[in-house]
Amino acid sequence: MGALLGFEGEATDAEVVRAVLAGDVERYAVLVRRYRDRYARYASRMLGSRDVAEDAVQDALVRAFDRLADCREPDKFAGWLFLILRNRCYAERRQRQRQERPLDSTDELFAAPDRPDGEYEQVERAHALEQALQHLTPEQREVFVLKHTEGLAYEEIAGVTGATVASLKMRMHRAYDRLRELMKEHL
Amino acid sequence: MKTGYHALVKRLLDGELTLAELPPELRAEGEEALRLVGAADRAPVALSPALDERVMATVRRHAGDARANRVWRWLNTPRDVELRLRVRPWTVWAGGLAAAAALALLLGRAAPAPQPGPGTQARAGTRDSVLVRFVLYAPGARRVAVAGTFNQWDRSIAPLVPAGTSGVWTTTLALPVGQHQYAFVVDGARWIVDPAAPAVDDGFGRRNSVVAVSAPGGHTL
Repeated sequence: MGALLGFEGEATDAEVVRAVLAGDVERYAVLVRRYRDRYARYASRMLGSRDVAEDAVQDALVRAFDRLADCREPDKFAGWLFLILRNRCYAERRQRQRQERPLDSTDELFAAPDRPDGEYEQVERAHALEQALQHLTPEQREVFVLKHTEGLAYEEIAGVTGATVASLKMRMHRAYDRLRELMKEHL
Repeated sequence: MKTGYHALVKRLLDGELTLAELPPELRAEGEEALRLVGAADRAPVALSPALDERVMATVRRHAGDARANRVWRWLNTPRDVELRLRVRPWTVWAGGLAAAAALALLLGRAAPAPQPGPGTQARAGTRDSVLVRFVLYAPGARRVAVAGTFNQWDRSIAPLVPAGTSGVWTTTLALPVGQHQYAFVVDGARWIVDPAAPAVDDGFGRRNSVVAVSAPGGHTL
């Protein structure tokens, strides 16, 4: 999840961060456009709801702005923002658990479009997997999402979460077993 | 169906083995497991186009509040006021005599002669920045700098200089009154907290050192 370059006038994350800290608040829109959708999928899969994920992404972007002066390494803004969003997703889950409001509205994530009949089975399986993910622990769900949805290697996941590769593999292997049990009707 | 996957099948899912590398008796289980992870939806999730404007509207409001807070703090922070009067001695004498004459006229008796003075200095309030000395023992380091909230975490602004060959690095900075978070950066990449100062979690799993600069006097770290 390193810095993303190559558009928005070629400005690097670090250049934009420094401009914003120097008082050019409007430049923050560059970072908003750059990262809003990039992290939307992670938040959606973690929270199981696009609407709740949108709130989380919005809050994370605002919180990152408020704490921008604390961003030690502006060239690593992407990873720093990810940590803010990750904390926000975990906090949202905890809050929902306290309020006994489960996050299981995954239907909207699959409100899609007409798919050919031949793909019905895959769509059903994908839907079942999304629901099954919500029954994993947050740590198991996160490692599954980062590896199999975001396509990160264990070493990269360790870099963004701070966990060791060994503990990540342990979480993942437990997640595989649990998902097999939850998905047995769809495999 | 067994509850869990075979260890080799988990290695297949982790990308460490291929299906062909599994023993024949595990291939069906491997295919099933691949169907499971293959169901992960990698399609992008599109958020509302209005999100950008909502974020920027909030950000502008927060920036306005922050500016107002800075102005308010600036207006309320006590500062040194230094007043110097530069006068010629005869004006002091003439002014003193005139004042004495006026006083004598008013009171009907002679006034004592005024004492000449080289100038007047008035000091009020407290200083708004204080010299803070940063010291780090880093014997193997080639470069050391201090970065913090006082310099936007810029690693290039405040280098420390070695004190001889003892491995001690030091620098002195003028910091505004208030609380600052900081860390040392060794060789341009390694962030370390100050072992001689309190530290706080920065909210993202890392530690920052803290220095609280109060108005009178200075801190030595």
